[in-house]
Amino acid sequence: MDSAITVKGLVKRFGSFTALDGMDLDVQTGQVHGFLGPNGSGKSTTIRVILGLLRADAGTVTLLGGDPWRDVVPLHRRLAYVPGDVSLWPSLTGGEAIDLLGKLRGGLDESRRAHLLERFELDPTKKGRTYSKGNRQKVAIVAALSSDVELLVLDEPTSGLDPLMEAVFQEEIALEKARGRTVLLSSHILSEVEALADRVSIIRDGVLVETGTLDQVRRHRRSHLRVELTRVPDRLGDVDGIHELAVQGTTVTCTVDDAHTADVMSMFASGGIVSITSTPASLEDIFLSHYDDRLNGTSSP
Amino acid sequence: MSALTGTPILLRTAAHQNARIVAPWTLAVTALSVTSLIGYRFVFADEASRQGLAMTIGSNPAFNLLFGTPYDLLTEDGFNAWRSLALGGFFTGLMAIILVVRNTRADEDSGQAELIASSVVGRHARLAAAVQLAFAASIIVGLVSAIVTMLFGGDPSVTIALSTTFTATGFMFAGVAAVAAQVGSYARTASTLAITVLGASFLIRGFADAAPGAGWLIWWTPMGWTQEVRPSTEARYWPLLICLAFTLVMVAIANGLLARRDYGQGLVPARPGPPRGRGLLTNVWGLALRLQAPSIVAWSIAFLILGGAFGYLASSLGDVIGPDSPFAKAFASSGQSIDLAFAFVLILLQIMGIIAAVYGVQVMMRVYAEEIDYRLEPPLAASLARWQLLASHAVIAILGPATALLIGGVAISLTATDPALTTGNLVRQVLAEIPAVAILVGVSVATIGARPQVRLASWAAVVATFALTILGPLFNLWDWILGISPLWHVPNVTDPDMSVGSIVGLVVVAAGFVTIGFLGFRRRDVR
Ligand SMILES: Nc1ncnc2c1ncn2[C@@H]1O[C@H](COP(=O)(O)OP(=O)(O)O)[C@@H](O)[C@H]1O
Ligand SMILES: [Mg+2]
Repeated sequence: MDSAITVKGLVKRFGSFTALDGMDLDVQTGQVHGFLGPNGSGKSTTIRVILGLLRADAGTVTLLGGDPWRDVVPLHRRLAYVPGDVSLWPSLTGGEAIDLLGKLRGGLDESRRAHLLERFELDPTKKGRTYSKGNRQKVAIVAALSSDVELLVLDEPTSGLDPLMEAVFQEEIALEKARGRTVLLSSHILSEVEALADRVSIIRDGVLVETGTLDQVRRHRRSHLRVELTRVPDRLGDVDGIHELAVQGTTVTCTVDDAHTADVMSMFASGGIVSITSTPASLEDIFLSHYDDRLNGTSSP
Repeated sequence: MSALTGTPILLRTAAHQNARIVAPWTLAVTALSVTSLIGYRFVFADEASRQGLAMTIGSNPAFNLLFGTPYDLLTEDGFNAWRSLALGGFFTGLMAIILVVRNTRADEDSGQAELIASSVVGRHARLAAAVQLAFAASIIVGLVSAIVTMLFGGDPSVTIALSTTFTATGFMFAGVAAVAAQVGSYARTASTLAITVLGASFLIRGFADAAPGAGWLIWWTPMGWTQEVRPSTEARYWPLLICLAFTLVMVAIANGLLARRDYGQGLVPARPGPPRGRGLLTNVWGLALRLQAPSIVAWSIAFLILGGAFGYLASSLGDVIGPDSPFAKAFASSGQSIDLAFAFVLILLQIMGIIAAVYGVQVMMRVYAEEIDYRLEPPLAASLARWQLLASHAVIAILGPATALLIGGVAISLTATDPALTTGNLVRQVLAEIPAVAILVGVSVATIGARPQVRLASWAAVVATFALTILGPLFNLWDWILGISPLWHVPNVTDPDMSVGSIVGLVVVAAGFVTIGFLGFRRRDVR
């Protein structure tokens, strides 16, 4: 399978500050690629270099088989972008902004446009300044999704959307994927890309920490558990995959590698579970597990 | 909780954030005053040269128009009071407007103010803080310019009276801006409104000083009240009471309006618009035109009015610049044989050219404003070459002022009665001047395109051109210095020996600046 986006050893400096320090990224054609990283890790910077808005200081970037800095016009005709910070022209209505961006890209699909406006419950007659953050975001999403392109580049597209609209967004992206489009979807929340992404890349401080299929990343994923038991089993600390164990009376809190959930659960079951709460791992937890691994000398696969 | 709760904290925060804006204006006004003093001291050292200067200035109404009525040109302090009062006041007023709009409407548009409005501050606290900030900044301009001028040997009585007029103008236009901020539906509308009032009061003052029989008008403009302080002769302070009263009325009106409007909205609310982008709005050219349209319309009207007033002025000055006037002798001695009214209009056209350059630079600055608001990103991420985006605004920045100048030139010919001031002559003269204006706009295309960090260079170029063109000749500067101003190279089209070479040269330089901008824009990061 060929790659829609390939980034190798990308370095980007802003003055003396190094925002990207040898970043790698590989997005394969036809896949939804989750691009994860905490705030300020360099997601938007990477995307701006990919779009030819910023100039790379070192490294190579290939976008749809071309050079994003040189071949701007033909390449951009084949992609659509939703910026992380959507700022609309105060005096233009949302509808005008959608049409303008569509035309700049070489036309948009009328029926898709109408369909998306309805799905996202967006009023196209309002002026840019009077939209709320979520609605500005919707304008950019509708503009991007209603154009007929191969690649969608979405930078934290759901950051202002309510849960209902987020669900709509997930459905629409799933449809795009079914149509065979490639999607680069950045986010700082793991669960957001989980439902959609075929592969994910994780960035931290301007370097790629991990890339792979969701399963591969999940292997490093830990959930927080809080279990109330009738009796705390012996040798709890010896079980593989249990970390940060704390026992208080008959209440146990710990983090568990998702790969070892089954073993841990049967261990708890032997102690008689009264109640159990589980919190899914955050992005930070994944990083922490990476660091643990590195400290323990077992590097990631 | 009172309506003003929280004002002191807001004021302190705003002072911190806006110090960088106040500094250059303070510097500009102080430099204006100090350079007048020192320039006069060196260039007009003896009595004879001073008499000559007074003669030149007294004979040319264009100087009255720009700087006001001279009361005393035989002392360095008198010269300073004449040269600095109107312009220093104008700059201070502009600073006050920028500060007030920035800290009221602009913050509302960007959403920053919401954080503040939702915390423990009274309803009127943000406006109060913004106005007080502008007051404080105007006082700083007055204090610094007075102290530095006196350090350079300025007479205390004249200098203090002069600097007080700067502060007074700042106060009045802080009030005007406070009202404008309530009326306009966007920050941009608010500042346009306030700056229009500032420009109009400057023009009315100029007209009152230059046109015969229009002296009574001086009491009908804020910039006239400050001039009537007459720092160099009487140094009377009572006209400042009118300024103070005007300020208080404006602030009261602003507060009254504030109670009547919603947060983030002007009195004129934003209406729903078309759901589809049709017509012009199908490419970047249309977008640029749409974004710049209010500017284009406002400036075109301004030039129509300006041209009409200038044409009337040129004709009403029959005696002042007639064949036996000192104005005529000045030209006779230079060996030129041209129509005197046309010679006078040439000076007016230079002034209009500089104003047109301000228009062009302002259009280009909009590109930078779009960039820092992240609004260049979506079009550039679409299928659009960078040069097209820059070109869509640069074309307006050059053709807009050119059109406005043509409108102004035609308007002059319509209100003027002198036989040499035909529409044909004026149009041709304006066409000869457009390349010079394009150079000044070209500097802004170059900086905004290639290196926005140094964008202030474009304003510096406009200010330098103004200084060299209007004041340079007074100081008997050498031709090679005067020639730095592009306007110096504009030929007189009624001169039979006129050469086209200099126009070609101007076009080449303008094209050079524009090219730098486009080459740079292709290579730099866009945020
Ligand atoms: N134009 C810029 N100038 C200076 N620093 C920048 C600029 N753009 C981004 N940065 C810095 O680069 C880092 C990465 O930013 P960004 O890519 O926006 O992160 P993310 O999108 O992952 O939140 C941050 O520390 C940010 O402050
Ligand atoms: Mg970001």
